[in-house]
Amino acid sequence: MGVIRSLLKYDKRFTFGFFIIVFIIFLSILSFFSPYDPSDRYIVPRDRPPNLQYILGTTSLGQDVFWYLTIAIRNSLIIGLISVSLSRLIATTIGLVSGYLGGNVDSILTTLVDSFNVIPRLPILVLISFAFRGYLNFLGIGLLLAFFDWAWPSKRYRSQILSLREREFTNTAIFSGRRTLGIILKEHVPFLLPYIMADFISGFLWAIGMQITLSILGLFNLDIPTIGTMIYWANYYQSILKGTWWWIGSPIVALILTVMSFYFLSVSLSSYLDPRLRVLRVKEKTE
Amino acid sequence: MKKIGLVLLLAIFISTGVILQGIAQQLPPGIPREETLIIDQIFRYSIVNNFNLWVSGVPNPTRQSLAFDTLWYVDQQTGKWINSLAKSAPIYNKDFTELTIKLRDGIYWSDGVKFTADDVVFTIQNIKDHPGMLWHEQFNLYVDKVSKTDNFTVVIKLKRPNSRFHYLFTTRYNACYIQPKHIWEKVSDPLKFTFYPPVTLGQYVLKDSDPAGYWELYERRTDWQRTSAGIITRKAGPKYVLTIFYGPNEKKVGAMIQHQLDLLMDLDIEAFQTLLKRNSYARSWYKDFPWAWRDELDIRYYGFNLEKAPYNIKDVRWALALALDVVKLNAEYIGGVTRVTPIPQPATPFHMKYFHKPLKTWLRNLRIEVEKGKYFKPFDESVPERLATWAKSQGYPVAGDLEDLFGIGWWKYAPDVSERLLVKHGFKRDKDGKWLLPDGKPWKITIIAAPDEVDVFRLAIGAADQWKKFGIDVDIESLERTPYYTRQNMGDFICTSSWGMAAGSGASAVIDKWPYAYFLHSRYYKPTGELQTTGNYLRIKSAKVDELIDKMEAMPPTDPKNVAIVRDWLKLCTEEMFAIPTLSFKKFVTFDTYYWTNFPTAENPYGQPCYWFMGGKFVLPYITSTGRK
Amino acid sequence: MENLLKYIVSRFFQWLIVVFVGITVIFIVPRFTPMDPIQTTLNRVTAYSYIDPDAINKMIETLKDLYGLKGTIFQQYVNFWKHLLLGDLGPSLSLFPTSVMDVIRTSLPWTIGLLAVSTFLSWVTGILLGTLAEYFSNRKWSQVLGTLVMCIYPVPYYIIALILVLLFAYIIPIFPLVGGAAIGLKPALSLNFIASLIKHGFLPALSLMIGSVGWIFLSQRSLTSRLVSSDFITFAETAALPRKKILSYLIRNSMLPQITDLALQLGSIFSGALITELVFSYPGMGYILYSAILQADFNLIMGISIFSIIGVSTAALALDIIYPFLDPRIRYK
Repeated sequence: MGVIRSLLKYDKRFTFGFFIIVFIIFLSILSFFSPYDPSDRYIVPRDRPPNLQYILGTTSLGQDVFWYLTIAIRNSLIIGLISVSLSRLIATTIGLVSGYLGGNVDSILTTLVDSFNVIPRLPILVLISFAFRGYLNFLGIGLLLAFFDWAWPSKRYRSQILSLREREFTNTAIFSGRRTLGIILKEHVPFLLPYIMADFISGFLWAIGMQITLSILGLFNLDIPTIGTMIYWANYYQSILKGTWWWIGSPIVALILTVMSFYFLSVSLSSYLDPRLRVLRVKEKTE
Repeated sequence: MKKIGLVLLLAIFISTGVILQGIAQQLPPGIPREETLIIDQIFRYSIVNNFNLWVSGVPNPTRQSLAFDTLWYVDQQTGKWINSLAKSAPIYNKDFTELTIKLRDGIYWSDGVKFTADDVVFTIQNIKDHPGMLWHEQFNLYVDKVSKTDNFTVVIKLKRPNSRFHYLFTTRYNACYIQPKHIWEKVSDPLKFTFYPPVTLGQYVLKDSDPAGYWELYERRTDWQRTSAGIITRKAGPKYVLTIFYGPNEKKVGAMIQHQLDLLMDLDIEAFQTLLKRNSYARSWYKDFPWAWRDELDIRYYGFNLEKAPYNIKDVRWALALALDVVKLNAEYIGGVTRVTPIPQPATPFHMKYFHKPLKTWLRNLRIEVEKGKYFKPFDESVPERLATWAKSQGYPVAGDLEDLFGIGWWKYAPDVSERLLVKHGFKRDKDGKWLLPDGKPWKITIIAAPDEVDVFRLAIGAADQWKKFGIDVDIESLERTPYYTRQNMGDFICTSSWGMAAGSGASAVIDKWPYAYFLHSRYYKPTGELQTTGNYLRIKSAKVDELIDKMEAMPPTDPKNVAIVRDWLKLCTEEMFAIPTLSFKKFVTFDTYYWTNFPTAENPYGQPCYWFMGGKFVLPYITSTGRK
Repeated sequence: MENLLKYIVSRFFQWLIVVFVGITVIFIVPRFTPMDPIQTTLNRVTAYSYIDPDAINKMIETLKDLYGLKGTIFQQYVNFWKHLLLGDLGPSLSLFPTSVMDVIRTSLPWTIGLLAVSTFLSWVTGILLGTLAEYFSNRKWSQVLGTLVMCIYPVPYYIIALILVLLFAYIIPIFPLVGGAAIGLKPALSLNFIASLIKHGFLPALSLMIGSVGWIFLSQRSLTSRLVSSDFITFAETAALPRKKILSYLIRNSMLPQITDLALQLGSIFSGALITELVFSYPGMGYILYSAILQADFNLIMGISIFSIIGVSTAALALDIIYPFLDPRIRYK
C-alpha cells in the first residue's frame, strides 16, 4: 500500500494510469447493476445521440450504449486477462527454463516452440472460430487466444536471457561466487521486469486486437458483448456512414483508455522496480 | 539528425508529387468516362483471365451476362419467355423422349465465325465426355444421343422421358453456356483450359483485365448486331463496360458518391440511405419509399428440423407463427421496404397474379383448430394497411395499391391463440411466465443464421426478440455459410432463418413449380444425422407432398392444369406450416444517373435490373448516355 | 569451427522437424472441422438451378476423386506428402481446377511488396524514434511523441485503417479506392507504373506502419531505458562523447531482440494482411487465404500455410545461426 501511495505522490504517469484503471474497473463492476440484460434489444428508442437519459446514446438495435459498454468492457477485460496471464505464464516459464538450462532441454523446448511459431496464427484462429464459434463461451475464447500466444513471447524471453547471461555482471557475479538463483533474482529479474511488463501489455493488446479482428470478420461469438463485438454490430449497422458515432466511438475510446492506463502503470512500475532508475529518482528527489 | 530531416523532407516532397499526379480516377487513356458504364463486380477474382465457366471454380458474375449466351431466357421481372440462341420454344415429341431445337441463323462468335448447330451439339457431347465439368452428370443422366439435322436444327434423344430437359438451357440466373466448337475441339484437357482470350457470343468482348483481379474492361463488339441481344433489342449498349470491385459497402457508396460507379448489386439499408443523401443522382427501383427492388424470386422464412420435438407438431409451428408480429418484423428490422407473404412463394407482380391473389379467398377461410371444436381464422388482411400507416408515420409518401406495395396480408399477431395451441399440447408456463416443454424442461430455441445474408440475419434477430417476449428462451447462433450449410444438411439445428428452396419456396420465372418441389419427395429423404444433399434439410416427409409432386411430374410444365396443382401444393405447405414464410427478397440494386440513364425502374419495368444474371444482357443495351462529361 | 558445423547440422534437423510438425498440423486441423469442400462446391453449383438428386450423388463421387479426398485421412496424408515432395501442391478446391501454385503466384508479389516494405520501414522508424525519445526523454517533443504513440498505438488496426480510408479516400479524395495500380496500367519498370504503385500502396502501408512503429517505438524505449541509466552512458556523457556515438551505442546494444522480431515478422508475411486487403481493396494473399478458409479449400489453405511455415522457420534458423555474429557474447553450444 505504501508503494502505491508513494507512487501516487511522485509519479504523474502512475496517478493517471491508476485513476483510469480504477474508473474502468468501476465501469465493469457497474455492469452487474445494468438495468438491461445484454441480449435485450429494442428496449429503448433507437439511434438517439447522447443525452441526459442515455448518457452515451442508444444503438440502432435499441440498446443503451452506456450499459452495453460496461458489460463489453468487463467481458473484454476478462477474456484479455485470461489469455494474457495464461500465455505469459507458459511463455516465461519456457523461456526461463530454456534460456538458463540450455542443452537438450533447450533444444527440445526450442523445437516445440518453433513448431508452434511457424503455424500461421490468424488463419488457424479464423478456421477454428469459423468452425466452432457456436461452442465457444468466453472462457473458451480466452483459452483459445492464450493457446496461440505463448510461443512467440517465450522465444523473446529466451533471447533476452541468453543475452543477459553473457553480460559482464553475470560473469562478475559468478566469479564472486554467488548462486545462480541469486544472480537471476538480483541481477536479471530487474532487467527482465520492464520487458515482461511491456510484453504483458502487448499480449493484452494482442488478445484484444485479435478479439476485434475476429469480430470484424464476424467470427467471434457475436452474442457475447465485448468491445470487439460492439464494434462489429456498430459496423454492421453502418454506424460511421450513418453518423451514429457514439455507438462505434464509445468502445474505441474505452479501449484506448484501458490500454493507455495499463501502459502507464507498467512504465511507472517498472521504473520503480529497476534499481538503477531508483537511484536516479532518489537523486532527482534530493536535488 | 540533419540528414534524417532532409530524407524525410524529400520523402514528403516525392509523395505529394505522386499523389497530386492525377487525382481523379483513373480510366486508362483512350477510354472516355462518358462512354464507359462502370458496374459492381461483386467480388475480387482470385484467379484472373480464366473464362472456363464450365468448371466449378472459375469466378463468374458479370462475365456471363456480358460475354456468354444460352438458348432460352425467362425475364424474372416480366415473366416473359425470350428465345435467345434458339429461334423458337423447345419442341418435344409426344412421349418426351426427343427434343428438337431450332436455332437462329445470323449469330456470330466474336472472332467472326458463324454460330451453328455444330456448336450446340459439340457443347453437349464435350461436357458429356468429361467428368468434372458442370452439367456433366445431368447430360450423362438424360442424353442418349445428340445430333444435328441441318445447320440450325439440333435433335436430342433422351434416355428416359423428361418434359423439362430444356431447363438446362433456360436461364433465370444461368444455364449451360454454349461453347465455340472451333476453339474447344482443339483442347485436350477441357477442365484445365482457361478459354483466354474468350471468344464470346455476347455483345461484349474482353479488352483488358486486372492482374490482381479487381476489374475487367469490356468493349462492345463492332458487330454487336450479330448477337442475340443485338437482334432482340436492336440497340447497342454503352461502348465500354468496366466491372470493378471496390470492396465493402461503404467503399461502393464512396465510389458512387464520386460518380465512379454507375450500377451496383445491393447495399444494406443504412448504406443506401447515406448514399441517397450524398448523391442526388443515385436511386434504386422506386424513386421514393420503398426504394428497393422487391421482385427477386425468392423468400425468407423460418424453418425447423421437423424431426425434432416439439417442432414435429404442426400446432407448435402455427403457435410460433402467430406469436410473430410481421408488421414489426418488416418495419423495424428490414426498414419496411419489402412485401410480406403468407405462402411459400415470393410476392412479385406475376406471382401475385397467379398465386397470392387467387388464393386470397382460401386464405381468408383457412381455419386452425385451437381446441377441440373451436376454430380460429389466422389470416390478417389488415397487414398492408398497418404497414402503410407505419410508413406514413415515418414521413414516407405512400402511393398506389397497398397490396402491390406491401403484399396481400399475413397471419394475425395472436399470442393468446398461440398460448392455447401450446397448452393443448401440454406446454406450461413457469412462475416467471417462461414456457416449459410438455416434459417440464424449459423451452429453448437456437436460431442459426448467416450474418452475410443481411435480411435473414436481421429477421433472426426479430424472431428472437419476439419469441423471447412471448416467453421462450431464444438465442442466435451466427454461422458462416459453409458450417451453416453443413449443419442444415446434417439436420444439426432446431430453427434456421433461411431463404431459398428448402421449403419449396424458391421460384423460377416460370409458373411451373416442380423444380422447387420435386426434391421434397420422400424418395430423396434422409433422416437427421445423415447428410442430405438435395435441399430437403427441413426433413419434410409426407404422402400428400409425394402425391402432388407425382402429379406435377406427369404433365409438361406448360400444361394449364399445372397451375391448379401448384396452387394445391402451396395450400398444403401453408396448412401444414412446414416452415414460416415471412418476406419477399429485396435488393437495393442502385444506379447513379449522372452519366447513364434509362435503367429499368418501377416507372419503366421493361426488364429485371439484375445485371449479373445472364439475362442482364437484354437490359444493358437499353441504357443510354446522359451526355454529361 | 567444428562447433559451428555441429550446431548448424543439429539446428537444421530441428528445422526439418519444425516444418514437418507445422505442415502436419495444418493438414489435420481443417479436416477435423465440420467443413466439407465438396458440399461447398455443390452449394455453389446448385444455388440457382435444379439438379436431379441422382446427378448430385454422382457428382459427389466425381468431385471426391478430382479433389483427392478419397480414402481415409491417413491415406490422404500419405498421398499429400508424395505429391508435395514432387513439388505438387494440387489443385485449389474452391477455384478448381486452377492449381494452388497458380493462385499463389498471382497474389504473392503484392503481399511481399507491401509487407516487406512496411515491416522494414516501421522497424527502422520505430527504433530510431524510440531511441531518440528515450535518450532525450526530458525534452518536450519526446513527451509529445510518447503521448501521441500511446494514444494511437492501442487503437485497433481495423479502426486505423477505416479512418484512413474515410479520410483520404472520401473526405479528401486524393488516394484511389481500389487495387494495387491504376486501371489499365501494365506492370513495367517505368516511372509511371512505380508512381502508381506507390500511390496505391501508400495508405495500406501507412496503416500497417502506424501500429507497428508504435510497438517497436515502445519496446525500443523500454530496451534502451535501462541502457540510458547504465554506467557506460554516464561515463560517456561525463567524457562528453559525441551524441552520435552514444546513440549508436544505444541502438547496437538493444538490437538483438529487435532483430529477432524483424526476422520473424518478415518470415511471417506470407499469409498476407487480411484486414488491410479487405479495407483498402488491395491485392494479396490475405484475402485468398481467408476465402480459402471460408470455402473449405484444404489445398489452398495448405499451400499458403507452407510458404508461411517455411518462411518463419527459416527466419528463425537464420537468426540462430547469425546471433553470435551479432552479439559476440553468445557462443554456439
